[in-house]
Amino acid sequence: MNLNFFKKDGEFFKKGYAEIFLFNVLAIVIGLVISSLMLCFLKQNPFSVYAEVFKRIFNDKYSVGEIFVKATPLIFTSLAFAFTYKANLFNIGAQGQFYMGSIVAVALSLAIGDKVPTVIVILLVLILSCLAGALIGGLIGFAKAKTGANEFLVSMMSTYVVQNFMDFLLRTVLRETKAEYLQTNPIPANAFLPRIIPGTRVHLGTLIAVLFAIGVWVLLYKTALGYRIRAVGYNKDASEHAGINSKIIFITAFAISGALAGIAGFTEINGVQHMLLQNFNASIGSFGIGIAILANGHPIGIIFASLLFGFLNVAGTTMGRIPGLNIPASIIDLNEGIVMICVIVSYFLRMRYVSKKEKKRLLLSGGEV
Amino acid sequence: MEKETVIRIEGVSKYFSKVIANKDVSFDVHKGEIMALLGENGAGKSTIMKVLYGLYTHDEGQIFIDGKKVNIASPRDAIEHGISMIQQHFSLVETHTVTENVILGTVKGKINMSSYNDKIKELCTLYGFDISPQSKIRDLSVGQQQKVEILKALYLNARVLIMDEPTAVLTPQEADSLMEFVKDFASKGGSVIFITHKMREVMSVANRIVVMKNGRVSGIVNAKDTNEKELSSLMMNSDNESIKTSVNAPTGPVALSVNNLSYIDKMGVKRLNDVSFYIKQGEIFGVIGVSGNGQDELAEILSGVINSGTGEIKLDNKDISSLSVRERIESGIGYLPLDRLKDGMIGDMTLSENLMIKESFKGGRWVKNGFLRIKDLKNYTEAKIKEYQVKASGESDLARSLSGGNAQKIVLAREVDAAKKLLILNQPTRGLDVGAVDRIHRIVISQMHEGKAVLLISTEISEIFDICSRFTVMYRGKLMGIYNNGDLSISEVGLLMAGVQV
Amino acid sequence: MINTITGILSSAVMMCTPLFLGAIGEVFSERAGVMVCAIEGIFLLGAWGGFVGAYASGSLLVGLILAVIMGVLMAALYGFVTICLKQQQIVMGTAVNILAAGLAAFFQRVFFGIPTVPLQVKPLSHIAIPLLSKLPIIGQVLFNQNIITYLAYILFPISFFVLYKTSVGLTIRSCGENPASVDTAGINVNRVRFLTVIIAGALGGLAGSFYTIGYLGMFTTGIIGGRGWIAFAICFLGNWNPKGALYGTLVFGITEAITIYLQSTQNIPSIPNEFIIALPYILTIALTVSKRSFAVPKQLGIPYNKEL
Repeated sequence: MNLNFFKKDGEFFKKGYAEIFLFNVLAIVIGLVISSLMLCFLKQNPFSVYAEVFKRIFNDKYSVGEIFVKATPLIFTSLAFAFTYKANLFNIGAQGQFYMGSIVAVALSLAIGDKVPTVIVILLVLILSCLAGALIGGLIGFAKAKTGANEFLVSMMSTYVVQNFMDFLLRTVLRETKAEYLQTNPIPANAFLPRIIPGTRVHLGTLIAVLFAIGVWVLLYKTALGYRIRAVGYNKDASEHAGINSKIIFITAFAISGALAGIAGFTEINGVQHMLLQNFNASIGSFGIGIAILANGHPIGIIFASLLFGFLNVAGTTMGRIPGLNIPASIIDLNEGIVMICVIVSYFLRMRYVSKKEKKRLLLSGGEV
Repeated sequence: MEKETVIRIEGVSKYFSKVIANKDVSFDVHKGEIMALLGENGAGKSTIMKVLYGLYTHDEGQIFIDGKKVNIASPRDAIEHGISMIQQHFSLVETHTVTENVILGTVKGKINMSSYNDKIKELCTLYGFDISPQSKIRDLSVGQQQKVEILKALYLNARVLIMDEPTAVLTPQEADSLMEFVKDFASKGGSVIFITHKMREVMSVANRIVVMKNGRVSGIVNAKDTNEKELSSLMMNSDNESIKTSVNAPTGPVALSVNNLSYIDKMGVKRLNDVSFYIKQGEIFGVIGVSGNGQDELAEILSGVINSGTGEIKLDNKDISSLSVRERIESGIGYLPLDRLKDGMIGDMTLSENLMIKESFKGGRWVKNGFLRIKDLKNYTEAKIKEYQVKASGESDLARSLSGGNAQKIVLAREVDAAKKLLILNQPTRGLDVGAVDRIHRIVISQMHEGKAVLLISTEISEIFDICSRFTVMYRGKLMGIYNNGDLSISEVGLLMAGVQV
Repeated sequence: MINTITGILSSAVMMCTPLFLGAIGEVFSERAGVMVCAIEGIFLLGAWGGFVGAYASGSLLVGLILAVIMGVLMAALYGFVTICLKQQQIVMGTAVNILAAGLAAFFQRVFFGIPTVPLQVKPLSHIAIPLLSKLPIIGQVLFNQNIITYLAYILFPISFFVLYKTSVGLTIRSCGENPASVDTAGINVNRVRFLTVIIAGALGGLAGSFYTIGYLGMFTTGIIGGRGWIAFAICFLGNWNPKGALYGTLVFGITEAITIYLQSTQNIPSIPNEFIIALPYILTIALTVSKRSFAVPKQLGIPYNKEL
């Protein structure tokens, strides 16, 4: 497939770092302004609504904690997309890999959650949900490497397949004992990820997510494997001429990507929801893509971009709770879509700005190349 | 006879974001003349023509056609003024037919294909082109594809024909037939602008010569009033002595031996046909031929990129034909591929990262416990930048920010290090200016002196004559004999390149 | 038995309609070199626009028009950013899809609040073509459908003719293979590409409206559920030509009709319902993985840069 055309803007910490930051922040602000104007359609004054939202969130420890809670799985799904993106592959199926991780996490927690010590449950669930995601991801990578199948389509479709598989399990073997809703029994408290800040729902998973982001950064930029993944992503032909087996890189990158998304299942089941239900966190896959774009694919940037999306999410629900305003939860999608598009447009503006600056410098210098 | 001026270019400048491509360029073109635009690679010849053809917009200056100031904003404007351009890289749609390519952009509404086929057929007969209108472009030879480009121009009734390095891809004989066409076209009242860096061509065909250097016009002379020496002083930046190596036949043991190598590609075309040769240690062995006669496949099979060939490849008497690319690198083969941007380097990575790529494995020079030895690598890169005189601000420059010659030096630095025994070079000097060519030749010769075997693939006969001790000519995947340097004249090699036995 | 088969086939033709419209739009834009990755969002806004137009005005025609406008607007946004600003298509597609989901859900709420009973419009009625509809089986299957389906029938020969027999088609096909050839012929590559994306948007919007006003008579945010992507996949699997798109559509349309039938009858309880729902997606994966020879337009997905 001819999909090797990802716009490369150079690495985050190299030249132009300040410009990237400036343009991204501006784009986010403009995006937020545009989307807040949408509130006018509900005959609300955006300023007073946002003032109220800020007041409610930042006067309340629990709400601030929620930003971190919402950001946690997004860090993982976004890392998942960014990781394959570095290999110039598109894993659009993080949602499905997340579901697979969730299924394994909930099943394992239900099975052994109260039989072994917490530490062991948590570690086992972490490893197995990670492997579950890696399996799905690895299969997509395998299809890509073996048959050259378009990984974009395959990963996209895999989400729908896994989702239906999950629905099937929720209707049959995993269904709660009272068989009322399509959901599982709650997992035993022994299998919960411990909360780390009292008075909030912030759990150990948030810390794990940050560690993983740093780990991905080290893997990509400090190790030989990461180097080879990036080399194949930038130029597959040159890499193959240098003896790198791109097929193995495809499978490896996809498996790692899937593993990252799978862990999100673990943090969400054992850290937040404590059960699995239908349409569980239905859009964290696509938000992950948006966050990766926002962060220019950089693992550390992803932490901050995820916090922004976490905030937008909490702001959306907070708005919905302000009595008498009737603001729907869909404002979250709207905000995030608009912010994403603003950031994408800012990519163009930044490139043009940089190129104009170079040209000007050249004219002033009188023509020495 | 007073010459009628068709085009006048006045003070045109063109700036790219990183380069000044043209500065204050002025000249004019007369009716019925063949004008050569001569200059080294990167002198700005193609750019000024792309401006004239509306592909680029210029930043300063004016263009006059038939004495009237014109604004050429797109190729459509140029075409309306009767200007057509045959570019170096053909702009043909490979999956479409000759007719579809020729009529693109000239038709409206429903297409009656058979009547257009007839029209193109007539045009072919008129100019003596041997092309079927219904053939798909991908089935045509390069020479024929160029004729399709010319057909496009003729079909549009062009009166000014711009040709960008038209002979670069042709055999000497095909080039002669092209020159016949050019003279014919000019004698019928058309004007031809001929972009080239080959002086011999200029002297044989042009009436007038515009010489360019560093984006500026450095001289305009009549062909009959000048000589190659004057032209070269106008186009070169400094005097470069060309090197003639002492080509003593080496006496060392055989390093590489290739026996009965054949290869059939995925489309079922036989790319290599029973190729056998050897290279001794400390020898430069040349492979000359028109592009596309199997040289690229030969290089890729030897380096392991293609692994479906048949036959025997021995390096120091060990069979390496079943080894992977990585294993061949480890056994001491360095390979500089033809397309350095695509296959040789990673434009969006730093120079350091580019130097590391073949040593990024377990046990590789820059890997320790799976982690990269970044600091050592950076020091090494800075040292190489000095050693090879690469114009770069430092190891963290992105590879794509370098000019062609400097990028080639970086790739060469890496391959020279990788080549413990054998160095394969596929057109290492293609598209480089004379200074860079000279430096690269010196590096290659020094490798020979170190006792390495060098396989040099080239399309320039002079390059082979300059530095090889023995050479072969490739035609349609076959070797047309192996010769000592000095056995054959240029025209004899030219005939062999066209498949004619001498 | 005959009635059952006729019923399934008739519903297959219905399910084919939007997929075919979307796939043909995608064929046009991809032959010109642009993947419309926003197709899922375009379908969704088309569905929503169709419903709102029809509900608010009481006229299904207004619904159809609004659906097309919605599709075109989304496509214009997508085309502007990917073609004129040369940004990455898959990424922009994801953004537009999220935005579309937000817009549809948000404005549904703005316009209608939280209704106590689901809002309904009467879907487009089936028009029986005189004489033809009287043919046994075929008549019922092919010639007793709604207006959008008939439009799809006409679209097939038109798209084939335009793509292969006209100058416009030649230009579009050349744009996807070698835009430089189009540029040197004096045609604006980006304009051609933008127009094909707009066509894809119009067809996608129309396709989306089929689900609301052509079939269900109501709107939910999950109404498209990946069908835009299926149309996208059909374009790939059908090798970027109208004939291939037609075959692909038939495969998926029939699969979907069988799915609906099995769900409604529950005849075979041994096959889980979820498996049946997932069938089109499994099929896409199987076909993508097993298909070998793709005639991918050479410059698909790559913005055209004439100056570096």
